[in-house]
Amino acid sequence: MAERTPLWAVFVLPALLVAVALVTAGVDAVLAAGARTGRPASLREVAVRAAGPGREVLRQLVQQPRRTRASDVPLARIGAALLPVAAVLAAVVLPLGFRSVSDLPDGIVWFNAMEALAWAAVWLAGWGPNSTLSLIGGYRFLAQGLAYELPHMLAITTAALGAESLRVGEVVDAQAGLWFAVWMPAAFGIYLLSAMAMAFWGPFDQPAGQDVAGGAAAELSGADRVLFLGGRWLLLVVAAAFSVPLFLGGGHGPLLPGWAWTVLKTAAVLAFLVWARRRIPTLRMERYLELAWVVLTPLAIAQALVVAVVVLNR
Amino acid sequence: MVLGDREAEESDWVENLWHAIPAPKARVEVTDPDRTADALDRGLTELAHGQLRGPAETSDHDHGAAAGHGEQPEADEHAEHGGHEADGDHGGHDMHTGHETHDEHDGHDMHRAHDGHDMHGGDEAHGDHDMHGGHDPHGGHHGHAGHDMGGLVDGLPMADRADDRDGLRLDRLHVPLGPALADWPAGLILRMALQGDVVQEVTVETVAVPPSPRPPSWGFRAFWDEPWLRTAAGERVSKGDAARRLCAAHLDSLGRFFAVAGWADMAARTRYVRDRALAGADAAELTPLVRPLIRRAGRSWTLRRLTTGLGVLRTGQARHAGVTGPALVADGDAHSRMLMWLDAVGRSAAACDETETLDLDGAEAIGPRGRVDGPVPPSQALLDVLPGLLEGTEFACARIIVASLDPDPDELAHVPAAGMLHG
Repeated sequence: MAERTPLWAVFVLPALLVAVALVTAGVDAVLAAGARTGRPASLREVAVRAAGPGREVLRQLVQQPRRTRASDVPLARIGAALLPVAAVLAAVVLPLGFRSVSDLPDGIVWFNAMEALAWAAVWLAGWGPNSTLSLIGGYRFLAQGLAYELPHMLAITTAALGAESLRVGEVVDAQAGLWFAVWMPAAFGIYLLSAMAMAFWGPFDQPAGQDVAGGAAAELSGADRVLFLGGRWLLLVVAAAFSVPLFLGGGHGPLLPGWAWTVLKTAAVLAFLVWARRRIPTLRMERYLELAWVVLTPLAIAQALVVAVVVLNR
Repeated sequence: MVLGDREAEESDWVENLWHAIPAPKARVEVTDPDRTADALDRGLTELAHGQLRGPAETSDHDHGAAAGHGEQPEADEHAEHGGHEADGDHGGHDMHTGHETHDEHDGHDMHRAHDGHDMHGGDEAHGDHDMHGGHDPHGGHHGHAGHDMGGLVDGLPMADRADDRDGLRLDRLHVPLGPALADWPAGLILRMALQGDVVQEVTVETVAVPPSPRPPSWGFRAFWDEPWLRTAAGERVSKGDAARRLCAAHLDSLGRFFAVAGWADMAARTRYVRDRALAGADAAELTPLVRPLIRRAGRSWTLRRLTTGLGVLRTGQARHAGVTGPALVADGDAHSRMLMWLDAVGRSAAACDETETLDLDGAEAIGPRGRVDGPVPPSQALLDVLPGLLEGTEFACARIIVASLDPDPDELAHVPAAGMLHG
């Protein structure tokens, strides 16, 4: 898998991510509108609803910006801009088929490090506007980080353990026969939970929750808001897409080329997450933490142990 | 959209909220329910032409933005509050905006503080306007007792300090919640002292209701209590109408509850069914609509785990405070109150075709929130128990507790008809 990736891939990657994020957000918007106003009457109506997120982006960009008093504008802007940057940087090690922009020797560590940038981003965006509700949102993400990160790291370590490598390409190669999701189901499940948690989305949207009027995003407007909320979708797409090389065999599959399998599997994971969001209310961290530390962390450790024993006896 | 005829436009908080809404915007005041459609059309035209009120709202972007803003927020809000609009006697002022109306802007003098304190003057190239009503995390608490810091930064008071429950001295913020906040009882104000996101102290207020110049017999009635109030006043109301109103009232409360619990999908579905109920759907249409809602919410293991133990209100305590509605019968936490609502929704949806006259027959008139012909409105009792339930809870829990009791400030403005019991 030592093919060199052309330089233009660097520019294609963000565009591709944005496209996937827009499609996902569009599907989500269609489902949300269906819940709000009943079934769409025509295909045209579906299209109008699906274009909702795109229209919202344009609206934000032309709307009069809002700013709170005594806000720390640079801080909030850095926070908002950091989120999409973190998502794109994490996606650098993401293989489409069998090729990524850069298959770093410690790609998994790189992914985890970039994803942790989101902690700083949300905290800064929450602190900057000098507003109580967004501050609460910022605090909440730190609590959320404490809850999800430990089982999450154990889960991705388990995948690396199974492949005996931190290189994402080699993790994919190790799944030519059997997908990791099949023999590490607990790690896969925990990873899916933390994919939503790191994007503070769906059942884990407390940092930007409705009860705090948008939380960390409450006071962002205009381009800042687009970057922050768009960055959140990018992060979700990247986190969901990373489950494909880690657990779902990457580009491996019959008949179709590798890239098509990656796209299909990513779409399936995203569809599952969008569906799950509709079934579950927001998990409050003061209740979830117990589950995370008492159930999920020991479960992840046990999973890692099983995998380690299998690998040693191979 | 401002609904209601009580000097809404002059009140400070409406004005501040209006300032905090970014352009393009249009403000529509509806006082006559028959002319709602006209008012909405006027608002749309205003948006489309970018004719904005006052110099402060003029910005470079208005014209381009009008189309993008579109009719979506207006139409949404129109649908959501259809019931209120249909009600001629509804005098409470709801504030409807297409945006997140996420904080209250207190009547406190923000314009003064704004002058000369704008440290972002250099940013004018962006077309920014420092919002007058901005976001004031400290509300109107200048000189509030207990401020030991006393400092002002940019016209805002610093956080003060107070002992927390473990005896640590921590920063404390005074935050007003309401009267305009998403998924919040319109007009309710809770003044909170927050440490981090833990509620330390709460005082309850409602938007001041000026004494009506009209005689009491004119009888302003809270929308959700209307069938029972009319029956108590001797008018003829069918059982079906009362059941329909009860069903919609509980669905309305459930919509807020689900939204605050972060279950947007269920909140949207619940509100859709509420609108169907208010639009006059018959039992055959409503029953299949409410059944999946009841099943899904009642069986949700996650929702139960998330809401059990919040705001426990035992029957004894509730009766002592004068609570009479579902909150009394539930005898428990937020989750049990939600189950009471679900149960009542199921029963009343099936009963909304009945044509017999609602006959109290000497019994108490029990509306969605409790006894409407009692000495105090049912929501007053709910507000009385609120501070005790909220103190010491986490912010998200506090929102869920408020939503699970769902007091209706409209009821407080209710003027009992002549001949009824006075407290």
